[in-house]
Amino acid sequence: MTPLISSTEDRRQMDGVRKQALETGRNRLLVAGVVITLAFVAIASRLVDLTVLNGGSEPRTATNEPASDNVIGRGDITDRNGLLMATSLPTASLYADPKRIQDPQEAALRISRVMPELDPVELTRKMQMKGRFVWLARNLTPQQHFQINRLGLPGIAFQEGERRVYPHGQMAAHVLGLTNVDGLGVAGIEKQFDQQLRLGSGAIELSLDLRIQAILQEELKNTISEFTAIGGAGIVMDVTTGEVIAMASLPDFDPNSPNNIVGDTAFNRAAKGVYEMGSTFKLFTAAMALDSGTVSMTSSYDARNPIRIARFQISDYHAENRWLSVPEIILHSSNIGAAKMAVDVGTKGQQDYLRGFGLLDAPDIELPEIARPLLPSPWRPINTMTIAYGHGIAVSPVQLASGISALVNGGLYRPATIIKAAGGTVVERRVISAETSLQMRRLMRLVVTAGTGRKAEIPGYLIGGKTGTADKLQGRGYANSSRIASFAGAFPMNNPRYSVLVVIDEPHGTKKTFNYATGGWVAAPAVGRIVSRMGPLVGIAPDLQVVFETPVIGKPKAKVREAKAIKKPDPFFKAASWRKPAPANDPDDEFTRQMRTALGRDLAPQ
Amino acid sequence: MSHDALNTPDLTLRQKLWHIHWLFVLLLCAAAGIGFAMLYSAANGNMEPWASRQFTRFCVGLVVMVSIALIDIRIWMRYAYVFYAVTLALLVIVEVAGTVGMGAQRWLNLGYFNLQPSELMKIALVLALARYFHGGSIEDVGRPTYLLTPLLMIGIPAILVLRQPDLGTTLLLVMASGAIFFTAGVRMWKFALVTVGAVIAAPIAWQFLREYQKQRVLTFLNPENDPLGSGYHIIQSKIALGSGGLFGKGFMQGTQGHLRFLPEMQTDFIFTMLAEEFGMIGGVGLLGLYGLILIYGFAMSLRCRNQFGRLVGAGITTTFFLYVFINIAMVMGLIPVVGVPLPLISYGGTAMMTLMIGFGLLLSVWVHRDVMIGRRGGDEV
Repeated sequence: MTPLISSTEDRRQMDGVRKQALETGRNRLLVAGVVITLAFVAIASRLVDLTVLNGGSEPRTATNEPASDNVIGRGDITDRNGLLMATSLPTASLYADPKRIQDPQEAALRISRVMPELDPVELTRKMQMKGRFVWLARNLTPQQHFQINRLGLPGIAFQEGERRVYPHGQMAAHVLGLTNVDGLGVAGIEKQFDQQLRLGSGAIELSLDLRIQAILQEELKNTISEFTAIGGAGIVMDVTTGEVIAMASLPDFDPNSPNNIVGDTAFNRAAKGVYEMGSTFKLFTAAMALDSGTVSMTSSYDARNPIRIARFQISDYHAENRWLSVPEIILHSSNIGAAKMAVDVGTKGQQDYLRGFGLLDAPDIELPEIARPLLPSPWRPINTMTIAYGHGIAVSPVQLASGISALVNGGLYRPATIIKAAGGTVVERRVISAETSLQMRRLMRLVVTAGTGRKAEIPGYLIGGKTGTADKLQGRGYANSSRIASFAGAFPMNNPRYSVLVVIDEPHGTKKTFNYATGGWVAAPAVGRIVSRMGPLVGIAPDLQVVFETPVIGKPKAKVREAKAIKKPDPFFKAASWRKPAPANDPDDEFTRQMRTALGRDLAPQ
Repeated sequence: MSHDALNTPDLTLRQKLWHIHWLFVLLLCAAAGIGFAMLYSAANGNMEPWASRQFTRFCVGLVVMVSIALIDIRIWMRYAYVFYAVTLALLVIVEVAGTVGMGAQRWLNLGYFNLQPSELMKIALVLALARYFHGGSIEDVGRPTYLLTPLLMIGIPAILVLRQPDLGTTLLLVMASGAIFFTAGVRMWKFALVTVGAVIAAPIAWQFLREYQKQRVLTFLNPENDPLGSGYHIIQSKIALGSGGLFGKGFMQGTQGHLRFLPEMQTDFIFTMLAEEFGMIGGVGLLGLYGLILIYGFAMSLRCRNQFGRLVGAGITTTFFLYVFINIAMVMGLIPVVGVPLPLISYGGTAMMTLMIGFGLLLSVWVHRDVMIGRRGGDEV
């Protein structure tokens, strides 16, 4: 330390105490000087940091994603051919800053003169509210925008925004879904791909073909009105890729006016609805029996008497009261035969095959509105038997379409998709052998040429399929008058390209159908018409020359299969055959009750 | 200013004028000149409404400063307690009859101008404390009881100012007093004790803060919490500083200030404007200028041979430092927003006057550096 005062004479004049105080003061002042210097260095370095280094750059909040509202540039949705299905148009929305409104009543009157649909009283109330922001009207037309702007009202301003437009109205409305007023997807593809659409990078190309979608919707609509049904669902699927070419659910809605959606119109029956599909399931039963080798095309079962188990009785709708071969079981849609076939395959085998066909798990399709199938738990032998003919299990139409596709395409299951396939590797799994698949196609063709599906026949298209008529669960049991009529088909059977599924909810018979409201009378003709109209569009010309062999139906002789069933009786089956009295607490009754509750809940409008 | 009465080896008025540290005055003028330029820029290239008035005030301030510098240091010492008592009385009057402006009761309306006693108190407290400690030996200062009186002298005005409410001035008063205590030789462990006590008391004091004060502290901790509300100042300020870069956007080219993103740019946030227009070079340059003023201030205090002058010098210089530090640290987001102007540059009459009076005292300390003052204020025999 170098004291500024150094004169020894001065020092002598001071007494020791004062000298000490001065010394201390000097030391302390120097310490203070150091502290202050440090403080200056600190602020100087902070200044350098803020100005030259990046400490003072724009706060990160500004570079984050835009706030959830005011989405601009939402991406388009197109069909597989690039036709626009959903797009966004720029619009302006009107809002007010109540604090800056000078005369709310005057302003309200002048605005309502331009937009008569707005109530001046309501406008006045809004403009007198507290706060600095209130919406007055959304999505003005350019004309309204111009006129209100010309009023020059202070405190009235516009928010640039977008309006979602669906050029094809109700076409595939359930698939497309909706956006809310803030432009966020709330249903369907709009919801599933909301993030991607909001980024606005390119359109989302759906697997749908608008032309075929139109055909499907029209035929479905006609069928529903012809049979005064309450609704219906339809799916057209490319069996080689799993792409959904058309998906319809009726009644439907117009996504352009979401305020008009009432009741269950927004409910997508094709993916979110699950139904007991009935006899169409016999195809899966036959396939698993043939594929596992428990039967051959010539095997036959005794279908003379209904099967009685506990309080259940399994009987045939078109009873032949004789031994039936496997093709005959499908042809005549024999419940008894199907149940016996399933018992031979066994519960485990049945579950494995059904899982293989994608019928036991929720589908992978890219829609937020999908349903899990309803399955029995526990899965008892009686369930094995009823599931064999499509009862006691409820699946969605899209699951059934996927399963049918796997049946006919050579035996490969490919998950259903609503997005146009990019041509890359396809996820697939083998469910049945190609040989079994060919046998199934012959059986399905037989149903259309000689069985319950004759109304689906369109010459030259080699349609094959299976009808289904399932009584709907109602109240305590199955109803007689309300049923699900369906036809699950594919074409052409010599080289299947598309599967077509039509499900009609609660059809009523007409004079023309002799009061029949079965799958064969209601859904099969609809599938026929769809195929005849879409065939030319997808480049499949009717070929009247081609021959596709179907199984020869003759009087069956073999009794091998039945013998086997008796030889190795299932303990449960044995009990049933011997007609022992049912236990007091019948578990199967319990199952029916559970199914009813479950189905009743899920079938309710959502 | 009768030196004869004090019976000292007198300097004539002429000699005293010669003794004034004119280089120091030149530094002050340079800082004020930067202030005029910034106010001119803040008004988009107009002398009105700020630059011309600030210039007038500075000129008046210079005259006041030189006058005070020429008055004998012993007169200041003699009347230190009186000055303090009068200012304290004014503070009490403000408390009961002050004009309320911008949510605080700070001013006394004296007809053609408003007096802000809390500003005067910054000077009065320094003088009174210096007088008190001047009489004490190092042993006296070591006794805790000896410190009770000065603590009261700080405490009463601090509480009154805090009630106005004016947290910035209160902190300034307390911290400048702390500097005087420190220079006077109060033991280090007492400072440690007070620091620990303050840390412990902080949560309790928190409850007595006004809502806006709490908000400022919370905003300081995370300004991005409320970017359009209480965090707005600091965020805009940081953006301005960042956009200045190395050399700035050029005189009168700052967008943050001129486009009104930055509120109150002519007062508390003027440093931001300077840094935006002149960049890091301008900002560091101004810091350098302030640094020089501070160095000279402390050097003048150190050179003083009487305890009173040294303490006054330390108190004034520390107050000046606190102004600079708090303001610049605040606009850069280093400390919470506290309403402290940038000395000599921010627009504002009262702060300018306080500063010029303070610098006048500092110069007086320098001019009378070799005057010996007895323990009771008499001459050194």
